[in-house]
Amino acid sequence: MKTVVEAKRIKKVYGAKGNMFTALDEIDLTIVEGEFVGIMGPSGAGKSTLLNVLATIDQPTSGDIVIDGISILNMNEERLSRFRRDNLGFLFQDYNLLDTLTVKENIILPLALAKVNIKELEQRVNEIADTFGIRPILEKYPYQISGGQKQRTAASRAIISNPSLLLADEPTGALDSKSATDLLESLKGLNEQRKATVLMVTHDAFAASYCKRVLFIKDGKIFTELVKGNVSRKEFFNKVLDVLAVLGGGTNDVI
Amino acid sequence: MTLFSIARKNIKGNFQNYVIYFLSMLLSVVIYFTFVSLQYSKEIQRSIELSKSMQTTFMVASVVLILFVAVFILYSNSFFMKRRKKEIGLYSLLGVRKKKIGQMLFYENLIMGAVVLITGIFLGTLLSKLFSMMLIKLLGSEVEVDFTISLEAIINTSIVFAILILFTSIQGYRLIYRFQLIELFRAEKEGEEAPKASIITAGLAIVFLAISYWLALKPFPAELTNQYFFTLLSSILVGIVIGTYLLFRSVTVFMLKMAQKNKTRYYRGMNLIGTSHLMYRIKGNARTFSIIALLSAITLSAISIIFSQYYSNSIHANQATPFSYTHLSTGKAIDEKVESIITADKEHPVITQMSIPVIKVGLDSSDTTVPNYLAHITKEFANEKPVKLVSESTYNKVVKELERDETVQLSRKEAAVIQPLYTDETFSDYKGYSISIKLPKDTRKLEFVEMLDDRIMSWSYPDVYVVVSDSMYTDIENQLTPIIFKAYDVADQKDTKETSGKLNKLATEENQLSTFYTGYKEGLEGTGLFLFTFGFLGLVFLAATGSMIYFKQLTEANSDKGRYEILRKIGVSKKEIRSSIVKQLFFVFALPLAVGIMHCIVIIEICTNLLSNLIGVNITLPILISMSAYIIIYLIYYMFAVNSYNKIVNR
Repeated sequence: MKTVVEAKRIKKVYGAKGNMFTALDEIDLTIVEGEFVGIMGPSGAGKSTLLNVLATIDQPTSGDIVIDGISILNMNEERLSRFRRDNLGFLFQDYNLLDTLTVKENIILPLALAKVNIKELEQRVNEIADTFGIRPILEKYPYQISGGQKQRTAASRAIISNPSLLLADEPTGALDSKSATDLLESLKGLNEQRKATVLMVTHDAFAASYCKRVLFIKDGKIFTELVKGNVSRKEFFNKVLDVLAVLGGGTNDVI
Repeated sequence: MTLFSIARKNIKGNFQNYVIYFLSMLLSVVIYFTFVSLQYSKEIQRSIELSKSMQTTFMVASVVLILFVAVFILYSNSFFMKRRKKEIGLYSLLGVRKKKIGQMLFYENLIMGAVVLITGIFLGTLLSKLFSMMLIKLLGSEVEVDFTISLEAIINTSIVFAILILFTSIQGYRLIYRFQLIELFRAEKEGEEAPKASIITAGLAIVFLAISYWLALKPFPAELTNQYFFTLLSSILVGIVIGTYLLFRSVTVFMLKMAQKNKTRYYRGMNLIGTSHLMYRIKGNARTFSIIALLSAITLSAISIIFSQYYSNSIHANQATPFSYTHLSTGKAIDEKVESIITADKEHPVITQMSIPVIKVGLDSSDTTVPNYLAHITKEFANEKPVKLVSESTYNKVVKELERDETVQLSRKEAAVIQPLYTDETFSDYKGYSISIKLPKDTRKLEFVEMLDDRIMSWSYPDVYVVVSDSMYTDIENQLTPIIFKAYDVADQKDTKETSGKLNKLATEENQLSTFYTGYKEGLEGTGLFLFTFGFLGLVFLAATGSMIYFKQLTEANSDKGRYEILRKIGVSKKEIRSSIVKQLFFVFALPLAVGIMHCIVIIEICTNLLSNLIGVNITLPILISMSAYIIIYLIYYMFAVNSYNKIVNR
């Protein structure tokens, strides 16, 4: 099985001398192809910092990160951008759709940026729109559609270029439970049928129960890890809740 | 902490926001102050021989300037306030009383106004010396300008701006009362829908522009009445204004829609972002674009025309008075007196001294082959002999002495007409036409074969000179006595002020004495003064239009920040974003300028047909110079805007 992410001793320190805050403390992380990994933890545990560092949006203070066989540290800005475009897909809590573009244009944006030819582009967009069931709204603008539709649009955009890693930051955070379930089912489908590798940061135990493996972070360190194995989603959900209860802090978010 | 100190801290903390507003106000003060101190400058008034007309020119210009500065300051103030609505909303939300907020904004603006005024007057004092020197140079005078501080100018400027600043301060005070809290928070979130391109408005835009251009470019009727002229100009103006607005409303949308239709191009790289962004903004931009296009058109054409007049002044003076001094010989005594004055001037030695014989004749008005213009002149001067004949050899000799190149060879029945000054007659008006010259005993028929551009005599109305062959001239001379013009050409004729002054005292209706210097200097002062004032106003307009687009782009940059952040996250490099901004802003800047230049060319076309001293003068060069100057300054604004936009969205 191919390794997609290999992070070693990632450390991220904020602030200057005398007033330092360690957000990530020597974290090691390995994700192989086809995994669906969740990251959980209380507020301020360093979840988003970890995601941002892996997403190449933020630089770690020390450590080494290899994604898809390429070391992403010490890359210049232009190469990093290319790397993000070609290897990574993003899903954010607040969708991050461009309101000047139609749904279709938002989805094809990564392909347009990569200058893919128009025929392939049209074909891919239709394919993905069908997967997420947003074919009828392709010509609408983001302000004309619902939150769930927006997030599915964002998900379509994230995977249209077949990234080796899909990074999701609280993707269900702003959705109602029906839309959240739809989205999680779609992500699960992507993971199982297309072998997409997904890394999802979440607060929500229900969302985490869709993962195959969940990492718990506290105070910048990995606290524990849960692997779903062959148990049902329901059982896995209870296991996650148990860990959260031990972890503390995060429990408020569950109840 | 007093309210006053909060206001002061606000300015310090929000400096970024304030800088632009501060600078635009400062610019207004500096320009106004400089202008007013020139108006009051004693030295300049002394150096100008037409200082009466200077006073009025300056007066009118300063009124225009006040109006303009007022509009400009109000515009930048409203822009500035818009950007701060959220901050003001926050104060209110935190429980500061409305009255307090109002007072704070009031004081803030007042402090800033005071600082601007003092700095502006200080800078203006330095600049006014520079501008005085420029003005004097343009007018061709030689006066030393001392460094003086004009008290009147300080008082004048202070009063004008105190009123403006007080007004904007009151506006600031009222801001909090005019809006609901929620409106203050929503200020930056105005969702703009993609506009619909209507074929009707696009068609109307083109129709309006086409009609006004057609009206402007069609030749004037022979009899130009004031009323006709006024209706014509106002319909052109209205047509252009409405056409321009509709153009930006609709045609630009069409252009962008077309760009979006071409999927292969549109779905390629940043084109998708750039085009859709422009589309999204176009509705709000239509008005700004139109204002900028119209302002550019006005400024550009005014500057071009006036610069052309200034530029062509010496050409013009040379045409009107080819010799340094010319007079009609009316008796030995006066001839000698003139000659002695001229030769006494050792600084300007005589290069050429000539006697030019001319025969005045009348035309047979029953002849139907006479060119229109000559028929008109004959009718107007029915009791006189309006046409002046010169012999071929005299013409060639004068042309040679004046170091011009056009000579003429005529056979017996041929004639050449010298282009009458201040008319737009061309050879086609003469080709195939002939005249019959009335002599005491008989008439002589002559046929026109050429039109000559080099003039040999000073202008006086009617300005009809016809060159005839030497043998024909001798024939006519046998029946009519020629009159003799005495002409002198001296070195450095452009500064023959003293001698010209002495000679002008001898000038009478009868001896038609004319000097090059008088015409040259009058033209120089008139056009130089206009050039200066309009150049000044042009600079102000340009600064204002540039700032308007600049402001607009900065506002957009601030609200687009989030969009570019998304793009960065999904893998667009800084370089790609920058190049997209360069393209987008190019569209935004170039479009109004292109339309402005188009209008300007049409306006120049009307004016060159209208202003007698531009008829028949080649003004391509001065127009090109003014346009390039304008475009260069505009380009600087563009580069600044790209840089700031980039800095905001691409950190």
